[in-house]
Amino acid sequence: MLLKLENITKSFPGVLALDNISFELNEGEVHALLGENGAGKSTLIKIIGGIHRPDKGRMIYNEKEVLFSNPSEAINNGIATIHQELNLFEELTVAENIYIGNIKRNMVNKKTLIEQAQEILSRNDFNIRADALVKELNTSEKQLVAIAKALSVKSKIIIMDEPTASITEHETQNLFRIVRELKNKGIGIIFISHRMEEIFDIADKVTVLRDGKYIGSGDIKDFSQEELINMMVGRKIDDMFPKYNKVSDEVIFSVKNLNIGKSVKNVSFEVKKGEIFGIAGLVGSGKAEIPLGIYGYTLAKWDDLIVNNKKIKRIKRPDEALKHGIALVPEDRKSMGLILELDILKNIIVQNTDLVGKNGLISWSKGKKIANEEIKKYSIKATSYKQKTENLSGGNQQKVVLSKVLKRNPKVVFLVEPTRGIDVGAKVEVYNIVNKLANEGNAIIFISSELPEIVSLCDRVLVMHRGESMGILEKKDITQEKILKLATGVDI
Amino acid sequence: MMNKILKKMKEYPAIVGFIGVSIFFSILSNRFLTVPNIINVFRQVSIQAIIAFGMTLVILTGGIDLSVGSVFALSAVVMASVLKGGSVFLGILVALAVGAAMGFANGFIIAKGRIQPFIATLATMAIGRSLTLVYTQGMPITGLPSSFRIIGRGSFLGLPYPIIIMLSIFFLIWFISKNTKLGLYTYAIGGNETAAKLSGVKVVKYKIIIYMISGVLSAISAMLLTARLNSAQPTFGSGYELDAIAAVVLGGASLSGGKGSVVGTIFGALIMGVINNGLNLLNVSPFYQQAVKGAVILIAVLLERED
Repeated sequence: MLLKLENITKSFPGVLALDNISFELNEGEVHALLGENGAGKSTLIKIIGGIHRPDKGRMIYNEKEVLFSNPSEAINNGIATIHQELNLFEELTVAENIYIGNIKRNMVNKKTLIEQAQEILSRNDFNIRADALVKELNTSEKQLVAIAKALSVKSKIIIMDEPTASITEHETQNLFRIVRELKNKGIGIIFISHRMEEIFDIADKVTVLRDGKYIGSGDIKDFSQEELINMMVGRKIDDMFPKYNKVSDEVIFSVKNLNIGKSVKNVSFEVKKGEIFGIAGLVGSGKAEIPLGIYGYTLAKWDDLIVNNKKIKRIKRPDEALKHGIALVPEDRKSMGLILELDILKNIIVQNTDLVGKNGLISWSKGKKIANEEIKKYSIKATSYKQKTENLSGGNQQKVVLSKVLKRNPKVVFLVEPTRGIDVGAKVEVYNIVNKLANEGNAIIFISSELPEIVSLCDRVLVMHRGESMGILEKKDITQEKILKLATGVDI
Repeated sequence: MMNKILKKMKEYPAIVGFIGVSIFFSILSNRFLTVPNIINVFRQVSIQAIIAFGMTLVILTGGIDLSVGSVFALSAVVMASVLKGGSVFLGILVALAVGAAMGFANGFIIAKGRIQPFIATLATMAIGRSLTLVYTQGMPITGLPSSFRIIGRGSFLGLPYPIIIMLSIFFLIWFISKNTKLGLYTYAIGGNETAAKLSGVKVVKYKIIIYMISGVLSAISAMLLTARLNSAQPTFGSGYELDAIAAVVLGGASLSGGKGSVVGTIFGALIMGVINNGLNLLNVSPFYQQAVKGAVILIAVLLERED
């Protein structure tokens, strides 16, 4: 046994992230960690990697009880984590990235560094030059650099957090070949992915978490995809998606030939009253840039933009978009949606100052009344409107964002990854809110990386690939397979 | 009641610091806790505090204004030359205009030109100082009308005008930061500029307004000192940006923005004033005073550090 976690418990303000979790990893084993966003996977790997300390529980590694107080302690003990965001230094060379944090002497001989790094890269058949700058590499090459970095310190455990999320099918196969080689060398691998097929392809064992709780584990052979999904979501997926919106014939939003820098090229679509219109695509496909451009946050050009029968020439800033009745629930609630240091009240009012006063003044008594109503309306779990949004759970943070964005009844609502990192219960609430908005006669543009919700929720789906539209699927044609094919650039 | 006081004290550690240094000096010197001395402290603090109020708003947005000292000097000398021409009203107006213009330039370069506040105001600081020297040819401007000098020297019910003006500005800025859109947006921009922008806040406009406020307050502060000294010197205000930043930081604000208040700042400025005054009363050589202030800032920041 390489690693054994016993009864690990960890809580953050407002959430119990891990509740009594146990986990085992053997040498030469690929162990998939499954669970929805918010299930506790990342907290668990952060505990193994020394980023978080558990509140309770033991961690036994190499037959010894250990407790890492920081990531470098874990790394030095042979546990390397390859985070989804990779954490590489773009301006440094591949060699410097591999050896950073592990340079023994004060003086660095660049030549030896590059030679040694090249050694590691070639030994593993990584086709990368050690003297290249990391910013010159593509995502999958960067991933290999991160793996080489882990190998350079003779890691016994490598944790991979969604390594395939932003790479192509071909690159994925390459990565899997390397994972198998690592496995043959006796390295234990903890593998996180949302793609079921991949898990069945690469994993030996699987452990499922849900809402911070241990649900089950075992040999991957003993499970079917169906079973694993049910374990993850805890209910049949169909029950999660209430579906009762009526799409009218009236188009209330349309854009023709939208161009945003290099990331979106000549995309056109229209959305009808009461419709939930999906946009799907891989990371970097441009799907997340579309709303930011239309909303006036980034520079966008279009031949035609019509909202509510009104032609709009340009939207220079978000406040102009809001005046036209366009609203945005942004991708990342922490960095884009909320001002974490401020309380619920102020976060709601920042976007709605005109509802609580005139001439630049703010009536806080009016504001508090609104905040209390909103907390009730969205059943936001908080001690009061004075609670800092920083201390709310992901789901409740998202509800604050929804509340402030929807307060003024926008006609066109862009939602970007609105369920990312929130628990299943909160997801269902978000789906209900989206449905309600559609039923009230608004146009909803729902942008998500989670295909099940796109498939179940959307009336039509536009699929993006490398900044271009690969086509729009009608309700009857929407399946995960078709979306994935289009998203990877395959015509159907 | 006691709980409420304790909570306030936790929220504004500068108040605790102010009480602390005051007790310290009143034990060491029996001249410290006298009405004339207290008024003296407040009057001396007024100049710095007014600048620090503007700096508070700027720092709350996550910015910094290094040009306050130069704006102080430029508005003082331009005003003084107009005052010598005879019109007090026009002189004051010109000073305010210089402050507003410099503030606008700062805000515009920072918000529209997207230059880091530190760099932008470092440049305008140098330019402002140079303009001051060119304008005066390095000579002080003295002999101002007595109707103007009264601003710095007169008093009402025993309170010198500078203190009254300083306290009025304090209440005004406090009100703005609590109960206006501008105040809420200031915290929002500093807390998370992206989120503020996506919430429809016109970030460029409000940043410009905030740097303009900082410039205008520097100009008002310059009026008080010019009136008190009956002269405007081209060297006025050098190092004032550091005093202002120190007061804001002592007041508990975070240089990364979003956190802080003018209530903290006024006590931060008072702490510095009390230390200056107390060390003078104790006949400590002025050579030591900067070191004491520096040490106090370090201790305060260490104590306020979270976790």
